[in-house]
Amino acid sequence: MRKYPNPMNPCVVGVDVLDRSLDNQGRLHSHRLLSTEWGLPSIVKAILGTNRTLTYIKEHSVVDPVEKKMELCSSNITLTNLVSVDERLVYRPHPENPEKTVLTQEAIITVKGVSLSSYLESLMANTISSNARKGWDAIEWIIQNSESALS
Amino acid sequence: MNSVGEACTELKREYDQCFNRWFAEKFLKGESAGDPCVQLFKRYQLCVQKAIKEKDIPIEGLEFMGPSKGKAENSS
Repeated sequence: MRKYPNPMNPCVVGVDVLDRSLDNQGRLHSHRLLSTEWGLPSIVKAILGTNRTLTYIKEHSVVDPVEKKMELCSSNITLTNLVSVDERLVYRPHPENPEKTVLTQEAIITVKGVSLSSYLESLMANTISSNARKGWDAIEWIIQNSESALS
Repeated sequence: MNSVGEACTELKREYDQCFNRWFAEKFLKGESAGDPCVQLFKRYQLCVQKAIKEKDIPIEGLEFMGPSKGKAENSS
């Protein structure tokens, strides 16, 4: 819930909760709207014909306090005529060592009808994969900082 | 972290503080009955929904999940 801001992903500039509820199994569902600033090189922006660098993303997360599992699914809701990025992250206890957490992260990137499609696909795949590592560093940073905030 | 609507950031912070406390002290410890943040959330949501309309953000799929819809919140 306190994922942003963190020093590893300064691109997220706005987060809002749109809806939050408990289901009948006691799991917490949240729907959030995120706004991000993409650092696209200006030549890419010129070719894409877009000046919009602010992208909006919707995220649905489910926290299960009994299984200690958190799942997040997000997809972009702007720039959808150019690209779709659907990401899914699942945090769950390690099956052999419950003191550890396993993160599984998947992303499906679809670039639509643009001449730069393979460039954009690899740019996005590389960004997502390096962000995945940063995301993990971010979680560790957040844990260290949250402990001091809660004490 | 700011709200997507600049004017809503303060309302968001108040709600976030309430929620974070409930989340860490109640929800994660298995006591999810009662939501102390409903009023704060409503005020914050009014602001956010207005900002979303103003900025023309396409969240059609999520609009039906506004606070006016009856939810499964355990606040009895």
